[in-house]
Amino acid sequence: MCTFVAQMKTSRLLTTFLFALLCLLTTGCQRSSRLADGNAVYYWRTEWRLDSVETAFLCRHKIDRVFCRYFDVVMDDATAEPKPNATITFGSPMPEGIEIIPTVYITEDCMHARHEDLARKLVQRVVQMNETHDISGVRELQIDCDYTHNSRRTFYAFLEEVRSEARHHHLRLSATIRLHQLAMPVPPVDYGVLMLYNTGDPQRFDERNPVLDSRDVQPYIRYLDGYDLPLATAYPVYAWQRTIYGVRIEHVVEAEEILAVKQMVERKRDDLRHAIITFCLDTDNIQRYNTETYEAIYHH
Amino acid sequence: MKRFIIISLFATLTTPLFACAGIETHNHYLFRLYNMKEFRDRVDRITENNWIAYLGLDSTEYFWFQAEEVIAAAQAKGDDLMVSYVNNLNTYLECASEVYGENWEYPTKEELQERSKKLLIVRQYALSKVKSRLRSQHALLYMRCNMLLGRHAENVQFWEQTASKFIDTVYRDMMQNIYAGALTKTGRADQGAEIFAQQGDYQSLMTLYYKRRSFDAIRQVYERNPNHAVLPFLLQDFVNNAQEAYDREHDNDWPGKLFIRDIERDEAMKMAAFAAQVVADAKTETPAMWGAAAAWLNYFFGDKKVALRYAQAARNAAGTEMMKDCARALHIYIRSAVEAPSAALDDDLTDELRWLTAKIKEEMAEDKPFYDCEDFYLHACNRIVHQVLAEKYQAAGRTSTALALYNLVGSYNYECTLDTMAVDDLLKFYAYVKDRTTDNKLDNYLKSVLEADDNALCDLIGTKYLRLAQWEEGIKWLDKVPLQFYNEKGYAVYANFRKTDVEPWIKRQWLDEEHEVPFDQIRLAANPRKATAEEIMQLENGLNLLKGEARLQRCYDLAVRYAQIDLTGDCWFVLHDGKSTYFDYEEPNHQPNELSFAEKAVEMLGQAATSKDFKLKERALFALSYVYLNPDCWYESEWDRDLGDYKWIPVPSSQQYKNFAALLAHEKTAPNQTSNYVSRCDQYRQFKKHFR
Repeated sequence: MCTFVAQMKTSRLLTTFLFALLCLLTTGCQRSSRLADGNAVYYWRTEWRLDSVETAFLCRHKIDRVFCRYFDVVMDDATAEPKPNATITFGSPMPEGIEIIPTVYITEDCMHARHEDLARKLVQRVVQMNETHDISGVRELQIDCDYTHNSRRTFYAFLEEVRSEARHHHLRLSATIRLHQLAMPVPPVDYGVLMLYNTGDPQRFDERNPVLDSRDVQPYIRYLDGYDLPLATAYPVYAWQRTIYGVRIEHVVEAEEILAVKQMVERKRDDLRHAIITFCLDTDNIQRYNTETYEAIYHH
Repeated sequence: MKRFIIISLFATLTTPLFACAGIETHNHYLFRLYNMKEFRDRVDRITENNWIAYLGLDSTEYFWFQAEEVIAAAQAKGDDLMVSYVNNLNTYLECASEVYGENWEYPTKEELQERSKKLLIVRQYALSKVKSRLRSQHALLYMRCNMLLGRHAENVQFWEQTASKFIDTVYRDMMQNIYAGALTKTGRADQGAEIFAQQGDYQSLMTLYYKRRSFDAIRQVYERNPNHAVLPFLLQDFVNNAQEAYDREHDNDWPGKLFIRDIERDEAMKMAAFAAQVVADAKTETPAMWGAAAAWLNYFFGDKKVALRYAQAARNAAGTEMMKDCARALHIYIRSAVEAPSAALDDDLTDELRWLTAKIKEEMAEDKPFYDCEDFYLHACNRIVHQVLAEKYQAAGRTSTALALYNLVGSYNYECTLDTMAVDDLLKFYAYVKDRTTDNKLDNYLKSVLEADDNALCDLIGTKYLRLAQWEEGIKWLDKVPLQFYNEKGYAVYANFRKTDVEPWIKRQWLDEEHEVPFDQIRLAANPRKATAEEIMQLENGLNLLKGEARLQRCYDLAVRYAQIDLTGDCWFVLHDGKSTYFDYEEPNHQPNELSFAEKAVEMLGQAATSKDFKLKERALFALSYVYLNPDCWYESEWDRDLGDYKWIPVPSSQQYKNFAALLAHEKTAPNQTSNYVSRCDQYRQFKKHFR
């Protein structure tokens, strides 16, 4: 009898434990939700104005989300406090049926120390920009920062604050993840966008394309499996022009290289094929590659 | 893995001796037709001067426009119009700063409406004063308000009907600039661009023509107007980008152009043919510009002799001063590249180099903003010398002329070549410098402007002999150099502190902060090069007189000196002026025209290691295992994923492994006598752990 009761108790305990575990897991799953399947682009100019080529591109590739850079946050030398910079202006209305995901780029030095109230000011500014310019249907905010081992803790604490502020406005939070950041613990966000560009050393541009080279991606592939955060992927379609000692240098990635990297990362982690973003929307970039290339990049 | 060890940032900064392969491009653009100085800088400077004059201040007392300061001054003068103008200007500037400035409080819709309302009031006020004494200022204020309000059509109309008739002032220039912007926003971009070009507003042109700089675009502009003001801008951009395409094909001078996509050979050649046709059609007022373009593009992609013909014609053709100078510089370059050296070429080159150096002086004397690094003449001269002339004279056996050309442009190649060339060649150059009586016009000119210090040359000749272990000959030359010369050298701080008799494998002579003495306080006791040479010469001379253990001890003592003066040693300054952080310790023996003193040290240590004396043998074997005497390391390291650390993999075939093994065997003969410097050596301890 005692044995039976004990068994019953054990069984009930086990059931309770399993139920609790299930609840926990379910809650955990809800905590992080990846970007819904589909195609997206980054918009990285200082004026929102789409031409006909860009509008047609969105339509042709069934792009229904635009990660739109709203402003940068940089350190103000005079006050030693972060300040907004290069805020976008809105020169044309948002196209119908496109979800805008406000994106804020924060320079790493802003995260060298904690800044009181920065998260609230940032979220408030984004919300106000939406309101002033009648941008509706915004459900998410993305933060882009090249954080390092030195700035990671401050940045993650900042993200916690942003997340809490964003919740008040029913916004979820995502962050960009650079390859070197894969070796660090995951940030406190709903999902990450794996940035597959700016992968090389700009100083050694004569050896490898600093925008993207599969040889620079390869060493980080091993981290993908264990990186415990839903991920979308972003691929470069831009040309990086710069002047070195008065000489203009332009870096462009071959289509084959982009696709090789896509294959490499998707083979390692299957969910990376679900949500795909290109950087960035621009007529020149659209014309740089043919439609087939774009279709291959956006292939799920 | 390469081991780059920073020996001294100080030494690198002062005399980067081995940075010959450092980053310095000579591939500057030679096609320069257009003054890229910012319109905004000119405007800012003039308006600032106007305020200074109004306030009656000295330029050092004025920092920036402050409305309160001007209002106070205007009130003191009883200038009511100025007071109202500045008040309204200030309101406009506040609105503009809200539009262009950045702060955390993003405006609401209502605030935006409020801002527009304020601008409309200022606009209305300004318009009411366009017939007043300050009409230009008020007209500008009116147009500025319109610009912020997006009323571009009204600005077009206002300029065309009113402001364009105003007298020439900086305010009129600014209005015209706003007008040009308004034209581009109201479908008359071509006209707007022409004004930007006339005003030298390079920044606006860059934006406007961002995607329109192809051959077709240039041809279309030309066909509309053969003397359109944007043509120099477009042509300059095209030709310089064509150079990029050429460099990509030829892997020329600067790496990394593999990614340039802009202009290909076919398009460049179409442009060259078109430019030549433009000259032939004679509709252009600036054939120098088109002729120079045809020449330069042909030089890159076509027939170099045809290029020379075009360049010759362009040099004498009409154009702005800048265009004619550009054509002249290109002609020098192309002619130098195409023609073989001759007395005629030397004579002409002398005149051209005189012209270029005079222009460089003028250019240097200009009051330019710090970021203005155009320096066209300097860059032209630098490129002509590096890419064409020096190589040409070198190939013709006129090394000294080539060196003097490098000297003329202040090239690092001058120092570098002097330092690495054979001593016999340096002696010839020394004779060239000293002989002022040649009948070659070019050499005479180059000598007349040559900047060469006699002490530096004597020191270098002497040092070169030391590098060959020809001590006596070296001392003869070093004797001519005063001690003060060495006190002023960057390495004096090391020479002041480091000794050549310290065993480098036992003690490194790091320069601590307390050893750093300001330059002007260094007083060396003797010429460090000569003193070392004398000491080594004495030790070497006595070597063959000694026998047995005394001889072996002398071998060891010499090895210490050789190891110290080697570039890997602490007393590198005996044979070199500097040591780069990029020095590769795994391949240290690649300095041309000098002996490897590390090898000499190894040879001496090999003899010392035959000693019967336990301690001397121990020292010699330990020294032979020294990392800087063994480019082949005794182990390789490999990342071990499971271990999470690097794994040591011994390489028994390496010389250092063998030397460590010999040392270990020697220590085993008397385990209690092992010296501390051996037992404490981390490498030796690791070796013992891995030795099988």
